[in-house]
Amino acid sequence: MSMRLSEGRVNSTYMVSKIDAEEGGMEEFLFTLGCYPGEPVTIISRLKNNMIITVKDARYSIDSALAHAICV
Amino acid sequence: MKIALAGNPNSGKTTLFNSLSGKIEHVGNWPGVTVERKEGRIRKALTDRNEYMAIVDLPGAYSMSPYTEEESITREFVQTENPDVILNVVDATNLSRSLFFTTQLLELGIPVVVALNKADLISKRGIVLDAFQLSERLSCPVIETVATSGGVGRGLIDLVDALRQVEGTKQKKVLSVNVSDAHSKQEAVELEKKRYEKVNEIVASVERRAVSSHKQTLQDTIDRVVAHKWLGIPIFVGIIYLVFSISQAWVGPFLADIFVSWIDAFYAWVEGLLPETVSPVLSALLLDGIIGGVGALIGFLPLIMVLFFSLAILEDVGYMARVAVVMDRFFKKIGLSGKSIIPMIVSTGCAIPGIMATRTIRNVRQRRTTAMLSPFMPCGAKLPIIALFSGIFFADASWVGTSMYLLAIAVVIVSGLIIRKITGDTSQSYFIMELPEYRIPSIKRATVSMLHRGKAFIVKAGTIILVCNAIVHILQTFTWDFSVVLENAPETSILATLASPLAFIFIPLGFGIWQFAAAAVTGFIAKENVVGTLAVTFAVTNFISVDELALVADGSQVMNVFGIGSVAALSYLVFNLFTPPCFAAIGAMNAELESKKWLFGAIGYQLATGYVLSFFVYQVGTLITTGSLGGGFIGGLIAISVFAGFIIYLINRPKGSVILSKRVHMEA
Repeated sequence: MSMRLSEGRVNSTYMVSKIDAEEGGMEEFLFTLGCYPGEPVTIISRLKNNMIITVKDARYSIDSALAHAICV
Repeated sequence: MKIALAGNPNSGKTTLFNSLSGKIEHVGNWPGVTVERKEGRIRKALTDRNEYMAIVDLPGAYSMSPYTEEESITREFVQTENPDVILNVVDATNLSRSLFFTTQLLELGIPVVVALNKADLISKRGIVLDAFQLSERLSCPVIETVATSGGVGRGLIDLVDALRQVEGTKQKKVLSVNVSDAHSKQEAVELEKKRYEKVNEIVASVERRAVSSHKQTLQDTIDRVVAHKWLGIPIFVGIIYLVFSISQAWVGPFLADIFVSWIDAFYAWVEGLLPETVSPVLSALLLDGIIGGVGALIGFLPLIMVLFFSLAILEDVGYMARVAVVMDRFFKKIGLSGKSIIPMIVSTGCAIPGIMATRTIRNVRQRRTTAMLSPFMPCGAKLPIIALFSGIFFADASWVGTSMYLLAIAVVIVSGLIIRKITGDTSQSYFIMELPEYRIPSIKRATVSMLHRGKAFIVKAGTIILVCNAIVHILQTFTWDFSVVLENAPETSILATLASPLAFIFIPLGFGIWQFAAAAVTGFIAKENVVGTLAVTFAVTNFISVDELALVADGSQVMNVFGIGSVAALSYLVFNLFTPPCFAAIGAMNAELESKKWLFGAIGYQLATGYVLSFFVYQVGTLITTGSLGGGFIGGLIAISVFAGFIIYLINRPKGSVILSKRVHMEA
């Protein structure tokens, strides 16, 4: 059973194993940002329903639904 | 020579476009500012001889793969218009992502020049970049630039040189992968992964980072506070309040007084120029109709400019992207996403670009709902109305403006819920937004942004508003048999007889007076008209100086001129803020909604919202202040019951037809 990014801890880096997004096109979009299986993602902070992550060298805010769709 | 400017969102493309072309397109420190392509030419200071270098600023994109509207624009342009050179703007602080797009651009066979932008930030961040080696690896010129620096801008001359040199050459590919050769999606993904590997390899050899970007920084600490689940909201309210205090109470009025004295001097000067023999009707048209009407509006220009300046500073710092994060939680609940906040923030300047910015939202219902609700945000044209009423009735209190913004957000939230119920579509979408780095705001950038927005305001004041004021003045000067209205019978004018029946429906809102009705109607043409029309119809040319108003009112209370109290004034303010903003915005809605049903629904909904809110403000306000309900309560209640009944009918009717029509739309 794979873990979801939404269950991750702040200040930890995880390897993406799979993108399990329901919305079409989201997987491809995340890919263009550099968030795809085998790439590291770091959780910077957690804000209620959002979390701030680092992919490559940029910071993004994602909602918990998307964090749940990222398997690590 | 045609140059296409391409790059990731927030890489500084528009800023570079501005420094190269000398234009002043709007720039914000958050992704998605450019939705449409913009064209210009490289300014003469950077080119020599009489060469003509056209430059096109394209919306930001992360890749050539079609995901959002912006990316499709970029792809289509690059593929169909055959630019001579592609100028790829790369954020030097985020090479590992930016070069993905760069390598795709390198495959088009069109010569590429890379502008390594934000070069000033790399050393600050402890990053060492080998631009020479990067150029070797990419087989294209790489020029370090600082688009935000003053004057000619660092690296710009070298950049233009490089563009000139590569023209007509054939771009070498850096990758052997060719995604178009892929036979399946799986295969294409594998090839793109190879591209990333290549990019990673290049980055590893040209870049050295002293601090890993995965480490917590001061920025992250600030984000934890500013985008905090509860703190975020009071901080947002506090900041908006501060912005209003500065523009409406501190700096704005001070500048406005200076401005108004110039307008008064101009009025007196023109008056002095007119010969004694000129007909009083004509001189009144010129002085009170045109100079008075436009002047009343221009008098508010300093207040608006200060507000635009403050908002530009907030954008420049990078705060607006955080507002989207804070708001996402609430927007989710109403079936929108945090992305919807961007068109709404843009709409605080002008609803038209705001409505256009909804294009970046992929979900059709979310996009339409956002386009329909964005005009509720108080735009620049509505500010003079806010300033006028808070100045006259509420002693320039900052809470008036602030509460109008908060009310707008509340209206958007409630409306989102209603629209979701009407469409029966409860689909959600993910939220992801890049958080740009905070930066020290630049006075220059904020000034440019302010002038850009202010210019549109002045142009409008000098054209459509001027014409409207002249027409309003003529209509109120003459009776239906074209004789001049007698001084003691202003209600016989064409304007009064036209507006009086309308005034009747405004009785339950507290302002059933023909002058207000006329101003509300001209306000549909453009909201700037409201102040102008009030100035013309009440023959008050100087709203800002309360002393003068007091004189007009024969020394009695200032508000006597208008014949309404502060509760009705607030009601009128609310009515104007929440009815459709202007014809141009309706045109923009028509383009983005792509459905007549939605368009008429939107206009009807906006009119009803203005009426309902204004009704409650007046009736409840009157009840609180006087202990009894205001006039026309029953009539207004009937009207509101009809609106409410219609909305309840829409919510409860069978949804089959809606789903069907949506399916048709998706196939089309």
